[in-house]
Amino acid sequence: MKKILLPILCSLALFACKPELMIAPSEPVKNLSGNWQIIKATRNGTDLTTRFDFSQFRIHFTDSSYTIDSLVPFIVSRNGKWAFDDPTYPFKLSFQATDSSAKTSPLQYPVTEGQRNLIITFSPGCSLNTYQYTLQKAN
Amino acid sequence: MHNQPVQHNPSGKRKLSAGVIWKIIGGLLLLIIAACGITIDNVAIPASVNGGSVLPITLNVTIKIDQGQTSNFMVAVLVPKVWKTAQNAAITFTSDITSGDQAMTVIPAGTPAPQGGGMDWPTLLATKVGNGGNLLPDYEWVAFYSNASYPVSDNSTVHATVSIKIKTSPDNLLFKLGYCVANSTDGLSSSDRYATAYSGCFQVNGTGDLIDFCNPQISTVDPRTSLDNDIITLSFDGGVQSTKLDNASQVYLCISGITESGDSLSVCTQTDATKMTTLGLNKWQKDIWPRKLFNLSASQHLTGLRYWFTDASGNNKVGYAGGTAPFLYTFKCQ
Repeated sequence: MKKILLPILCSLALFACKPELMIAPSEPVKNLSGNWQIIKATRNGTDLTTRFDFSQFRIHFTDSSYTIDSLVPFIVSRNGKWAFDDPTYPFKLSFQATDSSAKTSPLQYPVTEGQRNLIITFSPGCSLNTYQYTLQKAN
Repeated sequence: MHNQPVQHNPSGKRKLSAGVIWKIIGGLLLLIIAACGITIDNVAIPASVNGGSVLPITLNVTIKIDQGQTSNFMVAVLVPKVWKTAQNAAITFTSDITSGDQAMTVIPAGTPAPQGGGMDWPTLLATKVGNGGNLLPDYEWVAFYSNASYPVSDNSTVHATVSIKIKTSPDNLLFKLGYCVANSTDGLSSSDRYATAYSGCFQVNGTGDLIDFCNPQISTVDPRTSLDNDIITLSFDGGVQSTKLDNASQVYLCISGITESGDSLSVCTQTDATKMTTLGLNKWQKDIWPRKLFNLSASQHLTGLRYWFTDASGNNKVGYAGGTAPFLYTFKCQ
């Protein structure tokens, strides 16, 4: 009996092993495509969201271009191209308006209450006056 | 140059019983008869100087000493910080117990004042003597000691003439200068050991927007430095002084933008674009983006603003210091 059982167990052990399929977790794609609106705005830390009319502002991102509707003080004033510094792990978002040099903002891309936010920081006037806008996709 | 009446600092009041009051009066009489005293008899200062020039001030001081001591003479001035007086002032004095000009040197910040509880002279002066009624916080006391100490005998009276020369900054400003004299032994230990005086509102005719320490600030602009592509907040505080808008239920902005080419673009109609938001207690606020408010083209830029506040009719208009002249704001970065 032992002579039969041992080869069977060995065979089972041999066939039980098979290469494991390793799948590396992938970083979610930062999808900017669509219309974004400002849901929060600060100037030098002071919240201006309800004090200034940002409600009509929209920025529409496509694969590499953007267009702006109802401009407010922003990092750029005209339509143009946009790019991440690193498509996989972006920390900066640059805007290149037509006929202008590129302007770059630090980028945060958190999910808040199930909604993807885009947070950019820039100075449209004096460099010591810092504005931070939080954008969210418009419905 | 003219002599200005000396304005002494008012003291605080407490409710005291009649007995205590008589004891205090008796004590004060004894003090006046027996103790020393120091007074600034007058201050000679020009009504104004041009920005960047030297401001000459003369103080006439009388010191009565009951008990002899040897001390350094102390003179302090209340000045705008922007003058950097510690580096830009020279103080000397003459007296009837000395010969020739006596030099004085600034007392380094951090040096404890005598009987000052560990505070240095600038801190002690600001705490005990105050700010002379200046309404902006950018002031400082700068104190000087005589280079020499002087023995003074019992029951003597000394007259001193103090010469203060301060090189002003180029800034355009209004300020209430203050002066304090004391000695290095007694410090500000009691009110008879030092004397203070203030000039009226002194003007430096300099460059740039007026930095006004004297008049209540009924309007402020935030940020203090900006360009026309910033969002700027214009505030009106009707509680600072009585104006034509005391009873206004709505306040509007009447504003002109001055372009680089010198053109004046006016927005002075009572609409939502100029309507200010109430903050209560007659305080109002408006956030504007000048580029949009004045509908500037891409090539147009503003150098400054002139503005007033009006009621809903537009007939009652309040400007600088509550008058008819506009408030001014210059676009610039630091």
